[in-house]
Amino acid sequence: MATREPETGWHGEQSDVNHLRGRAFEATCLALTAFGLVSVLLLLLFVAKDAFRPLSADTGWLATYAATVLVPLAALGVYYYRLDEPAGEVAYVTSGLPVVGLLLTGGFAVLFIELLSVLEWFALLISLAVAGGLIVAHGRLRSKAALERLAVMFLAPILTVFGLPPTEFNWFVTDAAAALGLDFGLYYRVISLREAIMLLPFVPTDWAMLLLTLVLPVAGAAGWFVGQRRDSRRDSLAVVGITTVFAVLGVVAGPLLGIGTDIWLLLITFAILPLGVYVEGVVRRGEGVRGLAFPVIAVLGVAVGSVVTGVLGFAGPESWLDWGFLTSATSRTAADAGIYPAMVGSVMMIIVIVLTTFPVGVGAAIYLEEYAPSTGLMGKFVTLIEINIGNLAGVPSVVYGLLGLALFIRILNWPQGSVIVAGLAVGLLILPIVIISAQEAIRSVPDSLRQASYGMGATRWQTIRQVVLPEAIPGILTGTILALGRAIGETAPLLMIGAAASVRLAPNSFFDVASMMPRQIFTWSSELDPAFRHGVLAAGVVTLLAVLLVMNATAIVIRNRYQRTG
Amino acid sequence: MTENEMTSNESTESTSTAEAAASSPDPSGDPLVEQSIDVEGTNETTGTTGKPVIESRDLNVFYGETQALQDVNLAIPEKQVTAMIGPSGCGKSTFLRCINRMNDLIDAARVEGDLYFEGKNVYDDDVDPVALRRRIGMVFQHPNPFPKSIYDNVAYGLQIQNQTENLDEKVETALKRAALWDEVKDQLDKSALDLSGGQQQRLCIARAIAVDPDVILMDEPASALDPIATSKIEDLIEELAEEYTVVIVTHNMQQAARISDKTAVFLTGGELVEFDDTDKIFENPDSQRVEDYITGKFG
Ligand SMILES: Nc1ncnc2c1ncn2[C@@H]1O[C@H](COP(=O)(O)OP(=O)(O)OP(=O)(O)O)[C@@H](O)[C@H]1O
Ligand SMILES: [Mg+2]
Repeated sequence: MATREPETGWHGEQSDVNHLRGRAFEATCLALTAFGLVSVLLLLLFVAKDAFRPLSADTGWLATYAATVLVPLAALGVYYYRLDEPAGEVAYVTSGLPVVGLLLTGGFAVLFIELLSVLEWFALLISLAVAGGLIVAHGRLRSKAALERLAVMFLAPILTVFGLPPTEFNWFVTDAAAALGLDFGLYYRVISLREAIMLLPFVPTDWAMLLLTLVLPVAGAAGWFVGQRRDSRRDSLAVVGITTVFAVLGVVAGPLLGIGTDIWLLLITFAILPLGVYVEGVVRRGEGVRGLAFPVIAVLGVAVGSVVTGVLGFAGPESWLDWGFLTSATSRTAADAGIYPAMVGSVMMIIVIVLTTFPVGVGAAIYLEEYAPSTGLMGKFVTLIEINIGNLAGVPSVVYGLLGLALFIRILNWPQGSVIVAGLAVGLLILPIVIISAQEAIRSVPDSLRQASYGMGATRWQTIRQVVLPEAIPGILTGTILALGRAIGETAPLLMIGAAASVRLAPNSFFDVASMMPRQIFTWSSELDPAFRHGVLAAGVVTLLAVLLVMNATAIVIRNRYQRTG
Repeated sequence: MTENEMTSNESTESTSTAEAAASSPDPSGDPLVEQSIDVEGTNETTGTTGKPVIESRDLNVFYGETQALQDVNLAIPEKQVTAMIGPSGCGKSTFLRCINRMNDLIDAARVEGDLYFEGKNVYDDDVDPVALRRRIGMVFQHPNPFPKSIYDNVAYGLQIQNQTENLDEKVETALKRAALWDEVKDQLDKSALDLSGGQQQRLCIARAIAVDPDVILMDEPASALDPIATSKIEDLIEELAEEYTVVIVTHNMQQAARISDKTAVFLTGGELVEFDDTDKIFENPDSQRVEDYITGKFG
């Protein structure tokens, strides 16, 4: 059969296969990627150099910290990477957890300083808890009455939190009525549980309220989690018990050490408790225990470094981005300028966006993917809408600012430059992005799962609720958080709706005029004093990027968390 | 159409006249008429073969312009295994999806004609497909467990139907019946996606029988499985037929011959060519085309 001579060269250089074009293409792609990454990195380094000014420090200072912190940590890092990967993971988590914990602590501290008194927080949480209790109790007692259940789910929170009619929106109703030439005041109302609690002649002390509504619930959740993991009631109780003891001890001892009781309780809840649970788990498992050395050496290194530089009198860098910058308002002199009020403004704006854009966007995506007809006249209409959502995602942000200006300020008469207007305008801007990414996430749920669910006799709602959404949520969240990252950096809409160029005080309510980080940075960029344009500006940009980085990191963590558990 | 509706409204039980009338123009319809008389005959005399639970009359299905089923008349007896065989693309899955109205989920699909389940036309306006699917379970060609735990997969149907009393017990029974219990009893919390293909398919069967339906539809349930897993599933199907009506689509002639009581042969174009006792179909079919198909002369 074999008529051909055996060819010897079929596998080598002389073969007909030509890899040249493929290799060239690969090299070009690599070069382009590298170019993009390196240029962004250089830009960031350049800004960071302006913000921190490391070279303004004494050489001795730099050398000391390099010796006490950088070198030991780098050595440890190499050791973990090469020899002990589990320990590396432990080092990563034990260094990351306190950072996240401190961020949360800071966030709540700001919340209590700027937005709510502890009493208001307490009243709000208790009311929400009662509303939740009512809903659950109703579900237990009358599990079949679906419509009634919907009514309870809607009314219970309104009754406990807002009362009837909700005063929070009274002024809005009254204004609208006045615009129509009516005198329509809502004078009589049922007050809510929340308001009733705040009217009580006698209320517990701040720390007791925080203990009840923050420390204990978080400790309870952590305890439950630990109990589930280890299948042990005792360990759950231990977590709750130890946390409570620490909290009470801190309340007693805190003032002596100069730590405020509120801050102490927040620290316990968000930083010490999670770290403690994690470290205890690591020690118990005995795997990667060496990773614990990393945070310990970091803290020790900083301590030793500060003693040495203090004794030898080495001066640190005159960094623009320091504690003062993060905690004070902007000022006429560059050295005193800070970003605090703008940061609070940005965070409050994000809260508005999350509360409005997320539900609207995800709801729209669910409708378009799961309910909307795809055939007939309605189908054509839906296709038209989908195309236009795509178009809206590309509309320049100035236009959204203009829309916000017209809609919320000119028509609805809401305060110019207020947090709520900023949040809604920027929220509209990212709405199409949220819808599209949520649609993408929902579409990626395999159809065979829907078929399986419908085949079991599930209704559409049950299928969406129990099969589609659990699968799509990680994708929806990642998309949304990335969109929020876009929102926090938007400047043009803020200019259009008249956000303050710079403010001295952080906003105390959502209807206060505020400035946001990008708006503040823009103001600094046009100051006459070059110190503003080079130093303060860079510090602001680095802060903004850091916030962005934290948000994107959260998105990545969430995605990885949910991806392969199922 | 109106005449058809009238007959069906008058007599949903006695089907012979309606079927004879409906299938008389069809040249290959003769065995069908005999068949339906035969079924009723055995039903009256012996009572061992069940009465028909599912009956289609002049069922036509279109996907847009293309016709997938042509005037299908078929009566599926209760508590027996009915196999559907035929070349690829002849409309077997389409017929199966008509029974529990899964075709509703395909926008392009249009169903004409009647399909009776326990005497009620499932395409009547007052039939809720959700309620229908709770009585008619389905197992798909490719195993499609939910990305949840093994336990939650089996409990899913019970939960959505609010039958949550004795959940653990019901889950265990279903897994035992599906011959999966021994393999998974220690890992009910494990994700169903970590099971092997054959185990996943048995899990899907457990999921379908957990809610105790009347009929189970299976679309090539063993097509992705090795011979051992296949034989397990075949044993299971024979056992299920003691309590349930099973309709199974298969490409495997031996499988159809082994496990089914009745066999329906569809041929290209979506026509039902012959429907009879399995033994008769495989030993002495009336239609030459069926014989050719079964013996592999034509596919
Ligand atoms: N969703 C659909 N949209 C359009 N046409 C379809 C669709 N599903 C099936 N068809 C068409 O209907 C006909 C019958 O398909 P069906 O899936 O019922 O065949 P089948 O007998 O199950 O084939 P197989 O043995 O390969 O599974 C085919 O011609 C197919 O192209
Ligand atoms: Mg098929």
